[in-house]
Amino acid sequence: MSRIEGAKKVIEITKLNKWFGPFHVLKDVSLTVRDREIYVVCGPSGSGKSTLIRCINQLEHHQEGDIVVDGVEVEKKGKNQALIRRNIGMVFQSFNLFPHLTVLENCTLTPTLGLQTPRKEAEETAMRHLERVGIADQARKYPLQLSGGQQQRVAIARSLCTKPKIMLFDEPTSALDPEMIKEVLDVMVELAEDGMTMICVTHEMGFARQVADKVVFMDGGEIVESDTPEAFFANPRYDRTQAFLSHIL
Amino acid sequence: MTIVFQPKPSRPAPSNVVGPAAWLRQNLFKDIPNTLMTILGLYIAVTVVGWVLNWAVFNAVWDADNRRECLDMVGRSGACWPGVAKWLPNMIYGLYPKDQVWRINLGFLALIVWMIPLWMGGVKSKVAIGLSAVLLYPFLASYFFLGGSKGVVWSALIALGLSGFVWVWATAICERVTGLSVGEWIGRRFAGATEDVKQKRVRQIAALLLFLVCYGVVSQWSLPGVRTQLWGGLFLTLVISGIGITFSLPAGILLALGRRSNMPVISLLSTLFIELFRSVPLITILFMFNTMLPLFLPEGTSVNQLVRAIVAVCLFAAAYMAEVIRGGLQAIPKGQYEAAASLGLGYWQTTTQVIMPQALKIMIPTIVGNFIGLFKDTTLVSIIGLFDLMNMARAVGEDSDWLGLFIEPFFVVSLIYFVFCFAMSSYSIGLERKLSAGRDR
Ligand SMILES: Nc1ncnc2c1ncn2[C@@H]1O[C@H](COP(=O)(O)OP(=O)(O)O)[C@@H](O)[C@H]1O
Ligand SMILES: [Mg+2]
Repeated sequence: MSRIEGAKKVIEITKLNKWFGPFHVLKDVSLTVRDREIYVVCGPSGSGKSTLIRCINQLEHHQEGDIVVDGVEVEKKGKNQALIRRNIGMVFQSFNLFPHLTVLENCTLTPTLGLQTPRKEAEETAMRHLERVGIADQARKYPLQLSGGQQQRVAIARSLCTKPKIMLFDEPTSALDPEMIKEVLDVMVELAEDGMTMICVTHEMGFARQVADKVVFMDGGEIVESDTPEAFFANPRYDRTQAFLSHIL
Repeated sequence: MTIVFQPKPSRPAPSNVVGPAAWLRQNLFKDIPNTLMTILGLYIAVTVVGWVLNWAVFNAVWDADNRRECLDMVGRSGACWPGVAKWLPNMIYGLYPKDQVWRINLGFLALIVWMIPLWMGGVKSKVAIGLSAVLLYPFLASYFFLGGSKGVVWSALIALGLSGFVWVWATAICERVTGLSVGEWIGRRFAGATEDVKQKRVRQIAALLLFLVCYGVVSQWSLPGVRTQLWGGLFLTLVISGIGITFSLPAGILLALGRRSNMPVISLLSTLFIELFRSVPLITILFMFNTMLPLFLPEGTSVNQLVRAIVAVCLFAAAYMAEVIRGGLQAIPKGQYEAAASLGLGYWQTTTQVIMPQALKIMIPTIVGNFIGLFKDTTLVSIIGLFDLMNMARAVGEDSDWLGLFIEPFFVVSLIYFVFCFAMSSYSIGLERKLSAGRDR
């Protein structure tokens, strides 16, 4: 995809290694994501996909290797995590909305804290994003009154309200009933088309075909292969990849 | 050709599963053992209630000068109320001077009036009003109850309490009428709707003015001092448990956060404190504070016995509350912390805006249960010689006119405790319902 070539590197991971106690979860992982690029990460359960993207916004701390986000080096002990997280939004498999706040309050909480943004302005922004994900009419409800698909779309809107430059998705549709998967994927496609930089851990290969610039396959804590979706699906080079694809396609 | 699916209409449930007759059959007369239990239960209830009513009302003596007269009239088959009636003021106010008792009444009335806006419709700042009742009311009450000469600092604190009271009602009325808090209203009125910075300045000036006026009022106000040695009865019980309850919640929250902290020193200290106070009975703590606290203080300073008891109760209650809160914190899923972190919220923002509101909500029944326990536990202060409600009740039977009159005052004390505890418990159930309404599917 030519629109990406030469664009600014937004995330640059080199030789990332991480252990959980004695267990080596990530082994020499390197990955470069450029501005407006869409990465889809797939692989068997337990291969380290979540851990990899959680290292990027410092929900997990790595032990070796470098992560540079938007030109800022991520410190290993998480000293500059506040700075790093400011530019990154994240959407979780289990939505993790705040159940004691309304949908609108979920979206305005971060922007209004410390009065960085006046409440009125924050609410207008929030309503704009909620409209974008098609939930504006539910703004005054509480999260648990919504369906799973609606909750996940609220989670996306909530993330967007902090004006992230990069969005991370960790299996955003895995906890959803089949009827709701599409409504969430549609929002993600639209987001991709609007030029957001995204790393999506997902097994929705249709989504990968439609919008991904690169598909990454992970196994055993390593990136096994990484290619454009056309090449990745047409002729995967490794046996592990082939086996995996034959399972899920 | 496609066939259009036609859903069947719902029919009402058969009459043998709904309605009062069905309920009775299902729950009270389901089979023979069940029916027997129902009859036995009813029999016991009727007998006990009848017995109590006979004793307390129908056979009771209402007018007598001493216990002898009561016994001559009805023996032990009826209650002897005149003794309790004579001692009732003491059971409620202790030995507080009779001509000053209005201060206690007014003090508690002020608390009730302070909290009325919490039940008013159209008032939005309920959290702030509740907080002000907890944080500012005690300063106002302290002067009502203690009186005496007040220095500059105490005067300022009392003035703060008074300002709080004024603010609560100003904002309650303002929000009912205009929908704006009184601060916002004053800001708009005197600075124009769009001038954010100027509005803030106006609000600050208004707050300062209010405080100065209150300070002026307070400095003109003087009440004779009443030594705490004269405090007693229900009043003392309410003061000790009120302070204990008010202190235990914030202190418990901090201790619970401390115990879960990543900083080893803070976590260790909090754990030590909690475990220490939880593994020693309250009686022991009261005794220790009563006899040992003076030993640790510099020579010549003496700490009032009431203060010693209050400190002991507070620390004990905080340790218990900490464990309750920690239980609530543990029930919050990890995803909530992660979501807050990924949004860029810091530790205190996450704790106060995301975690605590949820943890406290789940723990309301347990927290109120703890409050009730503490309220009842304060009877133990009678052991170190404070004349709380319980000790006052005992004093009735030691009065020469009413020698041996114990059952009646204890009956009244039980009723008083029951009323307070039942009210707290009902309030917590109501609160729980209200908070969960509309939030769960
Ligand atoms: N906090 C943790 N402590 C210990 N082991 C963990 C932790 N989180 C994940 N793991 C382990 O690390 C491996 C990779 O996990 P994860 O990144 O969640 O995999 P994926 O998202 O690809 O399914 C798994 O074997 C998992 O059991
Ligand atoms: Mg995962």
